[in-house]
Amino acid sequence: MSAYSITILITVAIYILLAHSLNIITGRAGQISLGHAAFFGIGAYTAGMLYTKLGLPFWIDVPLAALSAGLIGAILGIPCLRVRDDFLAITTMGINFVVEAVFLYIPFFGGAMGIGGINLPGWFGREMTKTEFLFVILGVIILIYALDFRVSRSWIGLAWDSIREDETAAEAMGVDVVRFKVIAFILGSALAGLAGGFYAHFLTFIMPQNFGFGQSIVILSMVVFGGIGTRWGPLVGAVILGLLPEISRPIMEYRTLLYGVLLLLLMRFQPSGLIGSGSIFLRMLKHAVKAPKPAGRHGDSS
Amino acid sequence: MNNMLNNRMFIMGLALFVFFMGVPAGAQEIIKIGFFAPITGPAAADGASAKHAVELGVKEVNDTGGIKGKKVELIIYDDRLKAEEAVAIANKLIEKDKVVGVVSGSYSGPTRVAAPIFQKAGMPMVAGYAVHPDVTWDSNTKKPNDFIFRNGFLGEVEGAAAAQFAIKDLKAKKVAIIAMDNDFGRSISAGFAARAEKLGASVLTKEMYKFPGEKDFRPYLTRIKGTNCDLIFAAGYYNEAASIVRQAKELEIKAQILGEEGFDSPKFIEIAGDASEGVIIATNLDRDDPRPVVQNFLKGYKAAYKEDADMVGASSYDAFMILADAIKKAGTDPRAIQKALLETKDYNGLTGKISRFVEGEVVKPVQIQIVKGGKFVRKAVVDDPEIITPPKK
Amino acid sequence: MIWQQLANGIAIGAVYALISLGLTMVYGILRILHVAHAGIYTLGAYVGLFAFRMIDHFWLSLAAGMIGAGIAGYLVQRVLYMPLLHLPRIAPLIVSIGLFTAMEEAFRLIAGPHTLVYNARIGLSKISFGSFQLTETQVLILLVSTAALIFLWVFLTRTRMGLAMRACAMDAEIASTFGVNVGAVIAVNFIIGSFMAGAAGVLIGVYDNQVWPTMGSIPAYKALAIVVLGGLGSIPGTVLASLTVGLAETFFIGVLAVPFPRDAVAFIAMILVLMFKPHGLLGKA
Repeated sequence: MSAYSITILITVAIYILLAHSLNIITGRAGQISLGHAAFFGIGAYTAGMLYTKLGLPFWIDVPLAALSAGLIGAILGIPCLRVRDDFLAITTMGINFVVEAVFLYIPFFGGAMGIGGINLPGWFGREMTKTEFLFVILGVIILIYALDFRVSRSWIGLAWDSIREDETAAEAMGVDVVRFKVIAFILGSALAGLAGGFYAHFLTFIMPQNFGFGQSIVILSMVVFGGIGTRWGPLVGAVILGLLPEISRPIMEYRTLLYGVLLLLLMRFQPSGLIGSGSIFLRMLKHAVKAPKPAGRHGDSS
Repeated sequence: MNNMLNNRMFIMGLALFVFFMGVPAGAQEIIKIGFFAPITGPAAADGASAKHAVELGVKEVNDTGGIKGKKVELIIYDDRLKAEEAVAIANKLIEKDKVVGVVSGSYSGPTRVAAPIFQKAGMPMVAGYAVHPDVTWDSNTKKPNDFIFRNGFLGEVEGAAAAQFAIKDLKAKKVAIIAMDNDFGRSISAGFAARAEKLGASVLTKEMYKFPGEKDFRPYLTRIKGTNCDLIFAAGYYNEAASIVRQAKELEIKAQILGEEGFDSPKFIEIAGDASEGVIIATNLDRDDPRPVVQNFLKGYKAAYKEDADMVGASSYDAFMILADAIKKAGTDPRAIQKALLETKDYNGLTGKISRFVEGEVVKPVQIQIVKGGKFVRKAVVDDPEIITPPKK
Repeated sequence: MIWQQLANGIAIGAVYALISLGLTMVYGILRILHVAHAGIYTLGAYVGLFAFRMIDHFWLSLAAGMIGAGIAGYLVQRVLYMPLLHLPRIAPLIVSIGLFTAMEEAFRLIAGPHTLVYNARIGLSKISFGSFQLTETQVLILLVSTAALIFLWVFLTRTRMGLAMRACAMDAEIASTFGVNVGAVIAVNFIIGSFMAGAAGVLIGVYDNQVWPTMGSIPAYKALAIVVLGGLGSIPGTVLASLTVGLAETFFIGVLAVPFPRDAVAFIAMILVLMFKPHGLLGKA
């Protein structure tokens, strides 16, 4: 495959990580976040700065990126969860703006000039090729999906389900709602931070604007487009909405319009997402395969 | 419904297929040049100006017999001002489209991400107006990106030229700065402040505002008014610039306003109205320049698009023409084109005569223009080599 | 200087109020994070501007902008939101985001990417007491937002429709069992909210003398934040929040000179308020 296709696949793979991470918070635990790009940015900046300022290699700076995003997710997440529903959505959006402002206005973080000179990771004494880098990210995605299977069968998964369905009822049943919400927030943020680390090493140059509110909306759209709360929905959403700008290149003037219209139409006629419950797409697929093979857990996003 | 969806999926699949297979390379009778700009999204106005101007340049080249008899084909991509798109575009231009050179009609974000990819591939790129120093510089190896050239000024150079004019010609002693907080505003205001202080003026305050988004500059301007400065150096693009100038007039600020190339659009004068009268800017386009390259472009642009050209368009046009000129001299081998670009000498550009490139940075005079009677007219030219030669990085 | 900054703060606060009032009405009943409100606002500005170019009369162009926005708002409500009301709120939110993106692009494709000027003669005069001064367009905005507020108050407290609307805002299901035509209430509510968005678009267009395709991108989130800060759905809360945010931004930037952009200032204030009052300034639990 050409470096061009690899490049696009890497972008899509990073978006899969991001969509999956947001799905933990919004899909699993039911907490709408409009500021997920903040944690993506925290990860990217952690990795970028550790790499360029301290010379730490990719293999150390990227896990640290996940750690710092998770830590900040915990610090910000605990007070955030005092508020509910739309108040939470707007609070997370506010966090996004504040984090972006911190990157932009505190000279330590490189300010408006951003951070450059972050390379692709090295291994075996040489720089990784883009293809190898893609396989590393794909490996991480597979690992995360494997973990996901385990988690959703564990106590945490069950607790999340109950919170998403009815927070008050879950509380009455003795579920420690705040604790499990915070766990979701930390896991989701850490995973977004991990994606940020990959993104920084892939792009080689990061600036605050890459992690603004618009980026949060892109990630959220992917999750909902594919099917919020489902296992494979965010992946499907990330692949389709990640590829769409590339595929639509020939219709240049209309490509962003197409993006908006597609999002609107799908959500209008298929509000549970492409592979959410009651999806026409899913029924068609089953029809074609003839075997009633469910694509992941049938997420009910209500 | 099912049928419709089926059809749609088929088309989508087809698009995917075409996209992964790529399009076979075309015949060699044409010369392919890549171009990217923010055609859609928040910076679409500048994207349109850049695209229009470069398309005008392509038409001009092709109408006069092309380059050595070969027609130029411009491969245009929209980057939506997104860095990730620039990575894909750079790879696509190199591998799929097999262009011989690239023109950036975009901002620093996408251009800076694309630059190292072109550098690595040995593909010459001329940036129209992207301002970030790392476009032409590899901060890892501390070496210039020697395949990347910039037609616009470095922020430091333009800022220093503006300061030179402000302190020497306008005799400003106390200056205030209001600048947008992005790489452009940062570097140009830093260049201005450094030179102004060197020449003995004092910088009383430096206000940074967010871009994009700020529309209400009154809090900053009220503070600036309180400093009793005699000159305000303002950095921003024309929408913000027009608001600054209007609001300064509302607040009855008497200090001279000095702007930069971001102001350089007929839209600035149209939006700011009377308030723009007397505003001075440092830029690269001199509309009073009698050279045919300038007058023909201004007339041709107006005729083709029913609007007046701006700095972004002129700079992108120049970037394309510089590249086309190098291809004319050296043929279509990227390395030969790079060599021709490195050897550029006294090139007769639309935005000034380029004496040469130093580490990819252009060396040409900075134009000082003033708004008079609703038009930009020539005020002065700063061509002191000490100022217009880009500093070593 | 303090007086001038106070005037600056009130003026921008009035601008925020104008944009947020319509949104808070819509939210009060539908509980949708109506991001595309900012698209309706931009549409109002364009319709007003094109009307102004044709008839050269500011007040009539304002009316045209409001009507255009009202019609668009009604259609959005009817075609896009109504079928989604029973669903989790994230679905209409994403529809709204998709619609907003598409609208911005449609404006660019139809009216061109460049900024258009809205240079209207209004016929008001400026106000000044010493160093406290408000320009003609600032006076206009204060006047119109005050008028809108009075209209809303009279409408909600003195008319049957207003009463029905308040009932629906409390609980639409119960209201419908008392014979309130909920569908009609939602439609009227949305139309009035969109009227205000259209008016805001026209007034900001005149205020900045700029109308451009992405002029709604800041109001899209700023208005949401203000509505939340005020206590979602509370009209007095929205006005209070608008003025608070306007003044806080202006004083932090202009007087204390904090090196942060106004959005961050506004959001820090919002987050702090929500930590202590999780339902906003005047919101009810």
